[in-house]
Amino acid sequence: MATVYMNNYLIVAIFLFLGILLPVGALTLARFLRPSNPTEEKRKTYESGVEPVGSSWVQFNVKYYIFALLFVVFDVETVFLYPWAVAYDSLGLFALVEMVIFIVLLVIGLIYAWKKKVLEWN
Amino acid sequence: MSSVSKWGNLAQYDWSVMSPEFIILGVATLLSLLDLFMNKKADRRILAWIGFLGIIVAGYFVVRNTGQNVVSILNDMYRVDGFANAFKLLFLSGVAFVFLISLTYIDESKNIRYSGEYYYLILTALLGAMLMASSSDLITLFVGLELLSISSYILVGTRKQHIHSNESAFKYVISGGIASAITLYGMSFIYGLTGSTNLYVIAERLSSVFYDGFDFLVYFSFFLMFVGFAFKISVVPYHMWAPDVYQGAPTPIAAFLSVVSKAAGFAIVLRVFLISFGSLVSFDMETGQQGSVLVNTLSVYIAIVAAASMIIGNTLAMRQVNIKRMMAYSGIAQAGYLLVPFATLTVLMFEQTMFYLVAYLFANMGAFAIIMLVNRDQKTEDLKSFAGLYHRAPWMAIAMTFFLLSLAGLPITAGFFGKFYIFMSAIVHSSYWLAGIMLATSVVSYYYYFGVIRQMYMRPGKTEAPLKVPASIGLVVLIALVGTVAAGIMPDPVMQYIHHKFPLQQMFQPGGQ
Amino acid sequence: MSIPVTSYLLVALILFCIGLYGALTKRNAVIVLLSIELMLNAVNINLVAFAKYGMFPNISGQIFSLFTITVAAAEAAVGLAILISLYRNRNTVQVDEMDLMKR
Repeated sequence: MATVYMNNYLIVAIFLFLGILLPVGALTLARFLRPSNPTEEKRKTYESGVEPVGSSWVQFNVKYYIFALLFVVFDVETVFLYPWAVAYDSLGLFALVEMVIFIVLLVIGLIYAWKKKVLEWN
Repeated sequence: MSSVSKWGNLAQYDWSVMSPEFIILGVATLLSLLDLFMNKKADRRILAWIGFLGIIVAGYFVVRNTGQNVVSILNDMYRVDGFANAFKLLFLSGVAFVFLISLTYIDESKNIRYSGEYYYLILTALLGAMLMASSSDLITLFVGLELLSISSYILVGTRKQHIHSNESAFKYVISGGIASAITLYGMSFIYGLTGSTNLYVIAERLSSVFYDGFDFLVYFSFFLMFVGFAFKISVVPYHMWAPDVYQGAPTPIAAFLSVVSKAAGFAIVLRVFLISFGSLVSFDMETGQQGSVLVNTLSVYIAIVAAASMIIGNTLAMRQVNIKRMMAYSGIAQAGYLLVPFATLTVLMFEQTMFYLVAYLFANMGAFAIIMLVNRDQKTEDLKSFAGLYHRAPWMAIAMTFFLLSLAGLPITAGFFGKFYIFMSAIVHSSYWLAGIMLATSVVSYYYYFGVIRQMYMRPGKTEAPLKVPASIGLVVLIALVGTVAAGIMPDPVMQYIHHKFPLQQMFQPGGQ
Repeated sequence: MSIPVTSYLLVALILFCIGLYGALTKRNAVIVLLSIELMLNAVNINLVAFAKYGMFPNISGQIFSLFTITVAAAEAAVGLAILISLYRNRNTVQVDEMDLMKR
């Protein structure tokens, strides 16, 4: 058994080695083959695109954050629905009632967002 | 199919014992809906009264549960025993005080713009604390802990326009987040070693794991969990957040953190460590003797933590000029005193802790009510705002004197006997060094408590105008004063009551099936 | 047979230490929050690894990690919300500039 695993690690090591060697080798080879003639135009980030202006560190509208929060409420909480759905038959109706309570609490979260005018974008 | 099987096994539990929690959850939900659909300009005080009513009703159901046998739901994920009921009553009365103080704190000045949210977030925090007190499963305990923590983070930051409030809330989130990650890391090792999150199963399996050469991991997870919980009770390895957070938080929330949140921390510390580590014994190879790990090894570290908290809390409190920061350092020291019974583990450990917590509840709530009143009147949180209080509101000054005496642990107050019992437990355990540090730091604490008293009686204030005392503050101060003095004159009935109504032994009866 | 449980624990330990280091030393508040997430994810790795290869393998470790994920999301959301309200008043997210309350 142990030798099989050693072989597996050997394959991983070979892949790792090749994975590093190939790109490094290709780029180095290309460096020797290509002519080097940098001009001002060629140094730009997008050679034939829009002129980049200002820093790349810009502030995003805080609205994105609030949408992300809503996503958290309705996405992460769904995680709990899956185990319940899988075990639905063995849990019985009482668990259904509990899940309804759980979803009602989530809906209250949605109502909260709606009343606080989070769902409107303007 | 019979009706039972149609509803499933879950329906067979006695869910009615959870009614205190259901009521708090229901009232919090109701308040959030009412707050959303109420007129924006409408007075939110009605929400506070609905919440207050809910607390009273929940308290009634907790009282109805006391003195009963152990009831366990969902394999001890939720259980009702003496320990849980005692702590729940403490939380409910603490939050009732906080509601009364908040009624005066939130006024027309718009210091808290969303006061509806303020009230129901206190209730969700209370719900988390109650779960922490009455669960014996790491998952449920953790969820309760985080419900309390996350609600408190928001509550600390409710003064949205106030820079200090924002800053302290953010500091609280960061330190709380790190603390809960450390706690969880410790819990994950406990789970890995024992394969269960149920504290009783953990207790059963921990001993065998301990002998199988994993004793290092057992100690490691104990220390990780202890450091994480130390954040909630604000003792030494994790206390530095307290002054900043108390200073920036609204004063009623500072009172909440110092009493309810801290008591919840003690509930989880005692529950987790007494059940899961209580029966862990080590075997000495040389002498062939068996000894409890908790009593022999771990209690030494807890005693060191307690002593360090007393020393640091009391010495740093002397240098403070802001009264809320001073109370925060005083709270660190009090948490140190409260750890002493857990370190000495005498038979009366639970009664001593409970008595001290009750004394601390009355003294701190009363003190914070008066601090809030004076600071609001003088528009400063400086110690000097208390100057001349005796001439402006003599009754308030006298009440404050009693609260400070109780915190300092001087006679005819509840705090004296609280400290006395704890001191005796250290003597009985023959931890003379711990008892000595207790005495010495108590003497140090007189300095800053008497500093406030000196301001009230001997320093001339900026104004001589009588201080108007609103009815709700008057009620809080009155109840706290009666409680402090009554428990200080007759401590024995209180101890007897705790002993008979809330038997600790119930905590060690597993209710699982 | 498979990879021993210690390798998972080692990864989790390294992740936890990186997170703790970041949370204690970084100046940017957002990175501090991210570091806390790293610590919580280290816990998740631990729990899931123990659920499969622990002393007593069973499912409750995975359930525990579900709760951890949810709570971590809620905590991060609240942390960011507080950071935004702080930013509106202070105009900074540098942790070492949050020192208005020294004494």
